[in-house]
Amino acid sequence: MTVIESMEAGVRTSPYVSTPARVLDVEKLTDLETLFVLEMGHGRALDHRPGQFVQAWMPGIGESPISICSSPTRGRAFELCVRRVGEVTSHFHRFRPGDELGVRGPYGNGFNMRSLEGHSVVVVAGGLGLAPARSVIQYIIDRRDHFDQFHVLYGTKTPADVLFRHDLSLWRHSALMNVMVTVDRPDEQWRGRSGVVTKLFADLPPLDPDRTSAVVIGPPVMFKFVVIELMARSLPADRIFCSLERRMKCGVGKCGHCQINSEYVCTDGPVFTYERMRSLPEAI
Amino acid sequence: MTGRILSHAELIELIDLLGASRRLIGPVRRGDHYFYEPVAGAARLALDAPQCVYSPKSFLFPPEETLLTFEKESGRFVAQPVLHDAPIALIAVRPCDIHGIRLLDHVFAAPPGDAHYEARRRQTFILGMDCAEPCRAEAFCADMSANTAHLGFDLMVARLAEKLEARATYAIEAGSETGENVLAEFGRGRAPGAVDEAARAERAARKRQAFPKRLRCDVDELPMALQRGFASKTWAQTAQRCYSCGSCNLVCPTCYCFNIRDDISLDGNCGSRVREWDGCQLRDFALVAGGHNFRSDPAQRLRHRVMRKGRWIQDRTGLPGCVGCGRCDGACTAKISIREMFNALAEEAGHDGD
Amino acid sequence: MKPRIAIFSLTSCEGCSLAILELEDQLLALLGGVEIVNFREGMTERAWDIDVGFVDGAVSTPQDEEEIRKLREHCRTLVAIGACACLGGVNTLKHQQPPLEYREYVYGAGAKWFPTTSARPLSAVVKVDYELPGCPMVKEEFLHFVKCALTGKQFRLPADPVCTECKKLGNLCRYEKGELCMGPLTRAGCRAICPAYGSVCEGCRGLLGADAVAAAREVFPARYGVPFDRIADRLRLYGAYQDDGENAISGVLQPSR
Repeated sequence: MTVIESMEAGVRTSPYVSTPARVLDVEKLTDLETLFVLEMGHGRALDHRPGQFVQAWMPGIGESPISICSSPTRGRAFELCVRRVGEVTSHFHRFRPGDELGVRGPYGNGFNMRSLEGHSVVVVAGGLGLAPARSVIQYIIDRRDHFDQFHVLYGTKTPADVLFRHDLSLWRHSALMNVMVTVDRPDEQWRGRSGVVTKLFADLPPLDPDRTSAVVIGPPVMFKFVVIELMARSLPADRIFCSLERRMKCGVGKCGHCQINSEYVCTDGPVFTYERMRSLPEAI
Repeated sequence: MTGRILSHAELIELIDLLGASRRLIGPVRRGDHYFYEPVAGAARLALDAPQCVYSPKSFLFPPEETLLTFEKESGRFVAQPVLHDAPIALIAVRPCDIHGIRLLDHVFAAPPGDAHYEARRRQTFILGMDCAEPCRAEAFCADMSANTAHLGFDLMVARLAEKLEARATYAIEAGSETGENVLAEFGRGRAPGAVDEAARAERAARKRQAFPKRLRCDVDELPMALQRGFASKTWAQTAQRCYSCGSCNLVCPTCYCFNIRDDISLDGNCGSRVREWDGCQLRDFALVAGGHNFRSDPAQRLRHRVMRKGRWIQDRTGLPGCVGCGRCDGACTAKISIREMFNALAEEAGHDGD
Repeated sequence: MKPRIAIFSLTSCEGCSLAILELEDQLLALLGGVEIVNFREGMTERAWDIDVGFVDGAVSTPQDEEEIRKLREHCRTLVAIGACACLGGVNTLKHQQPPLEYREYVYGAGAKWFPTTSARPLSAVVKVDYELPGCPMVKEEFLHFVKCALTGKQFRLPADPVCTECKKLGNLCRYEKGELCMGPLTRAGCRAICPAYGSVCEGCRGLLGADAVAAAREVFPARYGVPFDRIADRLRLYGAYQDDGENAISGVLQPSR
């Protein structure tokens, strides 16, 4: 299956037409989530920033906005971690290597990684938030000497929900970073930590509030509590970067579904500083 | 004074000249109401129609339109965008609706431009019809500075002599190069003289008096009043009777939100992606695939609409988000009025300030 | 292999079954995708290995009850079509009188030979997988359902009220004529056919949800001087059984007995 746009010369292209992307590899991460390694048709790079997303299309079924979970520093291929929650994403789970889907994007502002350089970075991810966070994490690993301390705090509901186990294990054994993982509801096999993700803050070493940035991605309930922890460590609100989720249909700032007050999450976000979010009463 | 003076017969001729190379769309009377509809000639038009039930938005941004079609060719889907660029002329568009179209222009032109809207818009000629008086009790266009338009049309007509239509004269002005070319090509009518100047000045003076103030605050104060009323009890109180039916959205000349769905053939080999009007008052508008609805409460949805119309669109685009046409008030079977909400919040803000 | 479909009728006018035959030009395309194996209105063959069974009519007699239980066993997917099968339909009007009275009215002296039960939607008796409401059901929605079944697309009923379709068509609102239309309360999907042809929506596709009903309780008495009971009476026309869990309006339209 693929999607090719054919068009008469001279007519401006429609922003709603996808480009084909080929599935190179498929890896089941959990019962709900699957990782797809993809490459854009014609071999061109997606040319994205960490924190951006694409609209992925299954002809006849529909489109779904999905965060890119790999770093642009990792070559031409890119990765999507898809949770089976709706109709479109359920269809994606049938894809096998060699299949093709339609991709529009990359969309959204993403994280301005340059602005984090020279800083210590604390990445806090909850649940599926680790997918976009992984793009940031890979980027920092690949440019490690541009950053100071590097902490990753990750929380999920249960051990079965833990994503990217292979990455987490590599990261945990790496001297490049400090990784802490916790689950809300441990089972008997779980040897790691338990409790909500904010409990991990107790084990963070002291941070220089003038030279630290935080990246926060998770479900709506998580933001409030994580931000309280970060502010308690005197992090300024404009150095706390949050990525928000909303319903999106167009991805290009028109259809209105992702509006928060005057903002469009698809074009003005999904990354907002906490300073900005404070002035958007419906943001969290 | 620029422009020309046309007799009623000449105006009809001018519109038919426009219709020679474009599909004519203008107000048509149906019973006690008027609707923008395609017509074969200018004679069918009700040029003095007060306000049409719906704005002419649907001719630029149809309620339902195919964005692209796709078909399976040797195992792969090939997609083809669908663009419509047949020339049309919108006739007797009132200033409020011209302001509405300007907002749509702004939203759909913002990068990346919406090729589907732009293809239609580029081929659209707009002949505006200035209002001498308010068309309905719910209208507060003058409060929103939208009862006159200086931009956003090709030609603007103002009826000078308000007596029998057949003997009326019209002042006509160009608002674009296309409009100027049409006037030049038409070549009829006469240059305005002193009498016309006087008639126009008199009309302008009458117009200033004719529109009562229906908002209890100045349009410039409205955004601040709304912001201060964000936590007001008014939202929940009013939303108790809101059906979440979306009628206010769907009749609004500045509402542009849409949904996109996929249609597919019985054999699964071809289909289309279709865009359809959506509305922020409908229950599932902000519902994500995971099941979380970011505005599940009707009060949140009502606030979202009123804040957008009165503040947020203006913040973002510099253009009014509400043109005061009153259609939403008229369409609400629960009789929720945006004007009354603006007023209630302005009053609350006033009391807070004391 | 083509999915095997069947169409059955319980107590009803069978208009919904007939609507399938009215698909006319699309009927052949439909038959390209499915095999109809049991359809009294359209063929004489009878087969009982059924993938998707469509049933119109309400459960209104002991025989209906027996029949629907049997159909449930034979159909892998069971779809209720039309207001009677989905909401009880006009059959539920009989509840407004004592059983013996309406039976005598209809069957006269032989009433005792015609036992009836209260009229109920299929879902009151068996598990129903999908509902295609309306009086009659919307044949385009039926076609859409079949497309979904064939292509693996998820079928969902519209979650918006009739007003959305009415406005998109550019109709004049019936309230402008001083009429009380049930459009704001009623599930869309009919392309607002009644308002489009000049009459009010009577709610045959069922109530949209608890929020809309709550709004109606506020609006009609306060804004139109009409007690909500009178509105409920009108909504009862197409089915007193509008108490599915999703709508959470249990009992709203049940006549008090």
